[in-house]
Amino acid sequence: MMIQPSNIKEAARSLLASKQRTILALIGIVIGIGSVIAMVSVGRIVQEESLRQFKEMGTDILTIEKEFGGSPGMPGAQAKSGLKLETIRDIPGGCPAISSVAPSVRGSGNVSFNGKKLDRAGPMGVTASFLEINKLSVRQGRFLSDLDEQSRFCVIGSRVAAELQKNGSSQLLGSKIRIGDNLFTVIGVTNEVPEGGMRRFEPNETIYIHITTGLRVFANAEISSITARVAPGTTNNSARDQVMSYFASLGKGPQVKITSPEEIIAQMEKQMQMFTLLLGAIGSISLIVGGVGVMNVMLVSVTERRREIGIRRALGAKRGDIRGQFLIESVILSLIGGAFGIVFGIGASWLIAHFAKWQFVLSISALLLGVGVSNAVGIFFGYYPARQASLLDPIVALKSD
Amino acid sequence: MLTLRDIRKSYRIGPTEVDVLKGVSLDIQQGELVSIMGASGCGKSTLMNIIGLLDRPTSGSFMLDGAEVSYTDDDALSEIRNQRIGFVFQQYFLLSRLTALENVALPLIYRGNTGSDSHDRCMEFLKRVGMDDRAHHRPNELSGGQQQRVAIARALVGNPSLILADEPTGALDTQVGGEIMELFKSLNAEAGITVVIITHDPGIARQCKRVAVMKDGVIVP
Ligand SMILES: Nc1ncnc2c1ncn2[C@@H]1O[C@H](COP(=O)(O)OP(=O)(O)OP(=O)(O)O)[C@@H](O)[C@H]1O
Ligand SMILES: [Mg+2]
Repeated sequence: MMIQPSNIKEAARSLLASKQRTILALIGIVIGIGSVIAMVSVGRIVQEESLRQFKEMGTDILTIEKEFGGSPGMPGAQAKSGLKLETIRDIPGGCPAISSVAPSVRGSGNVSFNGKKLDRAGPMGVTASFLEINKLSVRQGRFLSDLDEQSRFCVIGSRVAAELQKNGSSQLLGSKIRIGDNLFTVIGVTNEVPEGGMRRFEPNETIYIHITTGLRVFANAEISSITARVAPGTTNNSARDQVMSYFASLGKGPQVKITSPEEIIAQMEKQMQMFTLLLGAIGSISLIVGGVGVMNVMLVSVTERRREIGIRRALGAKRGDIRGQFLIESVILSLIGGAFGIVFGIGASWLIAHFAKWQFVLSISALLLGVGVSNAVGIFFGYYPARQASLLDPIVALKSD
Repeated sequence: MLTLRDIRKSYRIGPTEVDVLKGVSLDIQQGELVSIMGASGCGKSTLMNIIGLLDRPTSGSFMLDGAEVSYTDDDALSEIRNQRIGFVFQQYFLLSRLTALENVALPLIYRGNTGSDSHDRCMEFLKRVGMDDRAHHRPNELSGGQQQRVAIARALVGNPSLILADEPTGALDTQVGGEIMELFKSLNAEAGITVVIITHDPGIARQCKRVAVMKDGVIVP
């Protein structure tokens, strides 16, 4: 059997002759290929994303959080005792593997400016080291310093700044923001950073105040999370062990949970696996449904075109020629479905990336996979009808109507 | 070139065996123009399909150009049909989605020949049957006589040594039928192609050098 332009032209023509049926058969293929493409594409996006975040934050970061829920012996008691600021400040001293720490406290209470409520602005109490450890930078003014203890100064994220400007602030520095019952003066604005990532907060939508102020003015304030930078030349694991024994040496102090970037990425990948599993399931089911659709179209086509098969056989077509003709048709059918599926799948992965706040990347391997899979579906599900066509007895085929 | 000995063909319909050909023996020489006549249902088409290698006899011997073909495999039979036999059917059997030219090209395609020489050759044969000005028309844009001319061009394009025509003028009026018949006669006379025509029309049969009459599954001597 030879594949020639004329074969392909003829196949396209006979598929066009039964447009409706062709389109119906394509839906399954489109969804199937689309899911597979989306799956691969999202996988690629997540991979790129974690790499990007690794690069941005560095791999020498540990997140130390208070473990909620007490130990079996003393339920409730441990949960109450928070992390003490002094204890945290002493971590680098007690653990040589940690070079600096940045504790933070989350604030609550309404945030308003000029009497207007700011929705996308979360107050947070931090120390001077917070800026550097979280790889943030200041665009305007300055960041909080250790001399700002108990002060009423604040530094705002870029989106908060934009919000203020929208609400009539001509001079950002010096503007006054109300958090709960207290007024804070803006002394700096941080640069915009890409969304999402390993930070446990949204830097662009945060209002930073000094942690000492935060602990006093926030209702139920408690240090919930500490970011620690590991000293150069030490591994994350040894740093983790030191921090663990440091907290253990405090006796009845609070239990902590320590997370490294590797674990965060592992967590992302676990989430990703859910996607993969879901899309993979949808994809393979739709591919089977689509494949059966293709097979059905081809079987009907073979039945309807028995006369044509007979004529071709009379003119000298071998069984292989007939088989090839129908196989080309089913492959073209699947490839058309595959093309739409690729568009659909890439579109879906773009949407997923958009909502998960990941950066979209176009994956060439996904495109190739789409073409490959649709080809395979066409051959696999087209083979049986094509074989049926080729096995028709010439005279029986010719005499049928 | 054709030697048939005691060809039998029977169909099993349920429990009963129907004998359609009951021992046909027939010799046709190279360059003959033969017509086969006989009552409807006597087995003419069945015989023609066996000669054309579209169907296999239940028993008997069939030699084509001195070689027994009863046991030849399917691919080889396809090749013989493609290389040596041209078919003309009562219902024309053109492919409706293809143009006249593309229909004529089919035997060449199955020979693996799709080049520009194939195009020229097809045009040449369309011209031969007077259809070159309709090369790009679809069958449904042509009259019955015109379609049959295209079908004849298709039968001829592969340069066969044998033309099998099963009631080629059956669906045409006498005048057009006469023109088609003239075409067969000139092919036979000029190119020496062996032509076998099944017909019910005594007028057609009279124009052939030899008439074989079939009755009830056998050739009447
Ligand atoms: N596939 C088949 N199964 C059973 N019987 C068949 C089959 N094909 C043909 N026959 C029978 O064989 C007989 C001869 O058929 P055939 O078509 O050869 O006749 P014919 O001489 O060409 O007739 P006509 O002049 O009407 O075309 C008929 O009685 C027909 O019913
Ligand atoms: Mg007949």
